[in-house]
Amino acid sequence: MKRKMVVWFMTAAAALVCMTGCSAEKQEKTSGQQMGKAQEDTRESITLNVFAAASMTETLEMIQKMYEEESSDVALVFNFDSSGTLKTQIQEGADCDLFISAAQKQMDQMDSQADPSVNEEDLDFVLEGSRVDLLENQVVLAVPKGNPAGIESFEDLGTDKLQILALGNEDVPVGAYSTEILTNLGLLDDLEKEGKITYGSNVKEVTTQVSEASADAGIIYATDAYSAGLATVAEAGNELCQPAVYPAAVLNTSKHQKEAQAFLDYLQTEECMKVFETVGFIRAH
Amino acid sequence: MDWYPLYNSLRIALISSVIVFFSGIFTAYYIAKLHPVLKGILDVVLTLPLVLPPTVVGYFLLVVLGPRRCVGAWILEVFHTRLVMTWYSGIFAAAVVAFPLMYRTARGAFESFDETLAYSGQTLGLSNRYIFWRIRMPACRQGIMAGGVLAFARALGEYGATSMIAGYTPGKTATISTTVYQLWRTNNDTLAFRWVVVNVVISAVVLLIVNLLEKREKTSGGSHIHLSGRN
Repeated sequence: MKRKMVVWFMTAAAALVCMTGCSAEKQEKTSGQQMGKAQEDTRESITLNVFAAASMTETLEMIQKMYEEESSDVALVFNFDSSGTLKTQIQEGADCDLFISAAQKQMDQMDSQADPSVNEEDLDFVLEGSRVDLLENQVVLAVPKGNPAGIESFEDLGTDKLQILALGNEDVPVGAYSTEILTNLGLLDDLEKEGKITYGSNVKEVTTQVSEASADAGIIYATDAYSAGLATVAEAGNELCQPAVYPAAVLNTSKHQKEAQAFLDYLQTEECMKVFETVGFIRAH
Repeated sequence: MDWYPLYNSLRIALISSVIVFFSGIFTAYYIAKLHPVLKGILDVVLTLPLVLPPTVVGYFLLVVLGPRRCVGAWILEVFHTRLVMTWYSGIFAAAVVAFPLMYRTARGAFESFDETLAYSGQTLGLSNRYIFWRIRMPACRQGIMAGGVLAFARALGEYGATSMIAGYTPGKTATISTTVYQLWRTNNDTLAFRWVVVNVVISAVVLLIVNLLEKREKTSGGSHIHLSGRN
């Protein structure tokens, strides 16, 4: 037994050495290539930390490839989560250069220019003049493949067809929109009393609960429903909730404000808008 | 303050620790008798949930119990019940993560058991069942009880896998840990803090019990001889 163990251990160790050896070699190679490209340019490549709403995951990853090809000295690092979580992380000192929120609320909470009734903690993170409304999204009612519960409209949420409805919590922008919709329909209190609502902590979690059929329906964005291949049975019009606008801003704590602004400008080009439009975003107006 | 999360947490922790208590003991007992290779493999598999992140456990549970997956779909078809997003979903999560604690501690206790006591029981014509319940179990009592308490504590504190398969529905699937997270996320610090205090108190009591058990074991070190001598 003991001898066998030693053999196993040696094999594992050898594999490990081999793996690290390989990756080290690879690293050398790529850095060599970069050196060749930059030649006399001794400037180090810059890493931009972009904190973006979870619903932008797919599109920003596509844009990342386009952008890094165009400006090779900038590497993009994304952090996708609910805007509320991102706001907390920024507030607690996370390294962030550019913030894209899925609602005005979380951006307002960090903008010294915003109304003090929203910016309760008197935070000042938004670089003056950099804030723009980037995109607009549609809030929809999505159901699992085949729609097992047979839910066809927002009104159906008040019927016995529904057992479990997946929503974001009130800190998640889509959760706030959902609450607004259900309040306008007069359904929220009953659904909560009957224990039919399960609260997720970001829109991707809600989306997965719907696609796994853990919930009968969920209120998410058109873009997330599209990316997950979910059927949407209803769209929330302006009479049900306010438009879901995505504001973006460079942070004044950023060490690379110029580069962050350049990337934000790039996001507003026709080229990027085309990418955003493939999943259902529209340009904010 | 709505006390439902406390009730739900205790209910989930109690049921899952009872399940884990017995299954852990019997697995530990029977695995010890297996062929070394099989024993090694099973031991790794059964201990994995202890070292895996709860989210990974939650993922596996969803893959098995989700309404679109093998077991979950079958149960939905036959019994028309969902195994996820209900209060008892938490039991699956808690049982899986608490199991290794019970199993490991019980195995440790069984390994330190003096087998000659079992053999002498056999020479006296006692049945294996009698030997197990009246000699082995009392001798390993402290270790097994400590394992049970630890499993209960772990089940009570389970968060990751629970939030993945039970979600957070106030008054239905909410446990103390998911409630604390939700309250913190929605900036309700005062209420979150109260639940934190409740949780700390319960966990401290549980640890105190473990320590007392260990102390008793030390002071009455020869208890198993005394107990088995009585038979």
